[in-house]
Amino acid sequence: MATVSVGNARPRRAQGRVVAITGACTYLGTELIKRLEEDRRYAKVLVLDVKAPSILAAGATKARFFPIDLTQPTIDGEIAALLQREQVDTVVHGAFLSHPTHATEWAHEFEDVGTMHVMNACAAAGPARVVMVSTTMAYGAHPENPNFLDERAELRGHQDSRFINDKVRAEKQAARFAREHPHVQVATLRFAPILGPTINNLHTRFFSRVTAPVMAGHDPLMQFVHEQDAAWALKRAVDSDAVGPFNIVGKGVLPYTTVLALMGRVPVPLPFLLARSIAKALWATQIVSTAPSLLDYLLYVCVADGTRATRDLGFTARFSIKRTILDFVGASPEDGATDVASSFA
Amino acid sequence: MPPDDTDPIADDLGAPDASHAPDGDWPSMSDDVYVGGDAELASGDSYDPYPAAADTDDGAEQRELERRVDEGRTPVYPLDDRRRLPLPGLWRRWRAFAMRGRADMVDDFGRDPIATARWEWVLDFLYAKWFRTEVRGLEHVPAHGRAILIANHAGSLPYDSAMLLHAIRRDHPARRDVRPLVEDAVFHLPWLGPLMNRIGGVRACPENAERLLEKDELIAVFPEGVKGMSKLWRDRYRLQRFGRGGFVKLALKTGAPIIPVAVIGAEEALPLLGRVTWFAKSVGLPYVPVTPTFPWLGPAGLLPLPSKWKIAFGPPIDLAGEYGAAAAEDRLLVSRLAEQIRGQVQAMVDDLRR
Repeated sequence: MATVSVGNARPRRAQGRVVAITGACTYLGTELIKRLEEDRRYAKVLVLDVKAPSILAAGATKARFFPIDLTQPTIDGEIAALLQREQVDTVVHGAFLSHPTHATEWAHEFEDVGTMHVMNACAAAGPARVVMVSTTMAYGAHPENPNFLDERAELRGHQDSRFINDKVRAEKQAARFAREHPHVQVATLRFAPILGPTINNLHTRFFSRVTAPVMAGHDPLMQFVHEQDAAWALKRAVDSDAVGPFNIVGKGVLPYTTVLALMGRVPVPLPFLLARSIAKALWATQIVSTAPSLLDYLLYVCVADGTRATRDLGFTARFSIKRTILDFVGASPEDGATDVASSFA
Repeated sequence: MPPDDTDPIADDLGAPDASHAPDGDWPSMSDDVYVGGDAELASGDSYDPYPAAADTDDGAEQRELERRVDEGRTPVYPLDDRRRLPLPGLWRRWRAFAMRGRADMVDDFGRDPIATARWEWVLDFLYAKWFRTEVRGLEHVPAHGRAILIANHAGSLPYDSAMLLHAIRRDHPARRDVRPLVEDAVFHLPWLGPLMNRIGGVRACPENAERLLEKDELIAVFPEGVKGMSKLWRDRYRLQRFGRGGFVKLALKTGAPIIPVAVIGAEEALPLLGRVTWFAKSVGLPYVPVTPTFPWLGPAGLLPLPSKWKIAFGPPIDLAGEYGAAAAEDRLLVSRLAEQIRGQVQAMVDDLRR
């Protein structure tokens, strides 16, 4: 299994590119398949997942499904053989959990070790380009964060959140892979929390409840990216040649309590220590699946700067944060509460 | 392409209303400036929801592709009842109520224009009636362009940054907004920190300061930091060490002029008699202040005494023009310049006391 060097890299434009997608059943994976189906520069899409995404049944023509379970011990060899047989030139690694789970051991196998398998397979098969999905939550909510974290900021994660730390470890593996294989273009997209009418993740579940906890006396700025913007950013990353980490963020920020007010959620102010004990108790009894460590994101700012994506990836968010929120809750602008600022301006 | 079958009510709605189309770029403004609400977003016919990527040669084809996929996807507003409160009327009213006194757009650093307007009268009362502030040398503050105000700091609570901010907003002909950089100890205080943030305060760190100056904002730096705020009554008017000279590096790097500012009166507004540190750590404070009124009167003791305030602005110092941007790496020079500016502010303070 020789790695492919730059010189004899597969022609990427001649007879159409071949893309392999892990985590195709996620929102981003499905949307990417839709876009690749439409784009004539792409010849084949390999769908690697445990189950076939619904888009295949809906009449996708370029996509082919290969059952791949990233938690299996020798899956890296299988993926490598597949990548070589199908002459894949772009691997999109998007098999990550969008929500914390109580099955933390399995989550670790899936996200951290699963990324290792994908990177092993890429090292063996040598695709021209690897695109990985990550999140700005990997920067961690820390009191020393500047208002805008750029890509050079350290990924601090969270001291006791496996959900976040598995993603940090996956990113570190991707960075190491990029270091060791300089002829492979590796791009990592760190998405701000994605909101939208159809996506289902940690944030949409959190904000779907009628009430939401507020850490008494704290009101950090928040940032979201609209699901359509996120999908287009991923497509652009697959298209382009840009390498390195990119923050994919929406336009504008809002304080957390204003986000709740715009959504019409009822804020429940709690002192942090009390909130943390309650969250820990709820987590331990498995009543809710929102990890207590995520309360830090309600205390301190964790907002990323998307300038690099605009410059190198040509991605600019089309939706402002307010429109993203209204789109998420399914409210039309005349639904009250949104004309306040226009009367002020 | 048929609609995504994960959406249960995809066929409930026809085509999305044109007024719900995603908003394009905020017209004729950079992404970073505050935009006062949705009125700004209706840009008429020139609105292009699919801006071409700057670096791709196949921009037109990409836009056509994006449009096709967008048309094939689910409506913009599927009415998902799980995300609504049970009673639509109540829900609507609650949202309108919850949005009172806050803007639905804040600027990049979190200043909320409605909250600012709401607190205006408190600042104005303190400034004009309570402290009877006298201001000199406002003409040294530029009407536009970046600049760094370097001021002394005293008085246990950041009343001086609020007054400095208000002085320029009220009495400067350009009515500029100052962005005071707030030290961590205050910025993360419950309630006070978010309030400072809503009316324009920014957490003090080099990244934030540089970003603000790149946007040609006027920032106020209190290089003494917590050391300045926590100086005791007997040390009043004596300036503490000016941090590590970060503001000098900032001025050299960004080419912003430094305007020395002396503020007098904060020392007497909340005269600090002592600092209690032994239990402060456990409540997350650097120290618990002891003043003639605090903690004896409870939270009311944190209200300032009606001292007479004076604020003086000095002529701008153009460090970058004199030493060049590369001098920011010269540590000795930086610390010498910081000390020099400290001496200047100290002299202005002494001058004001006379």
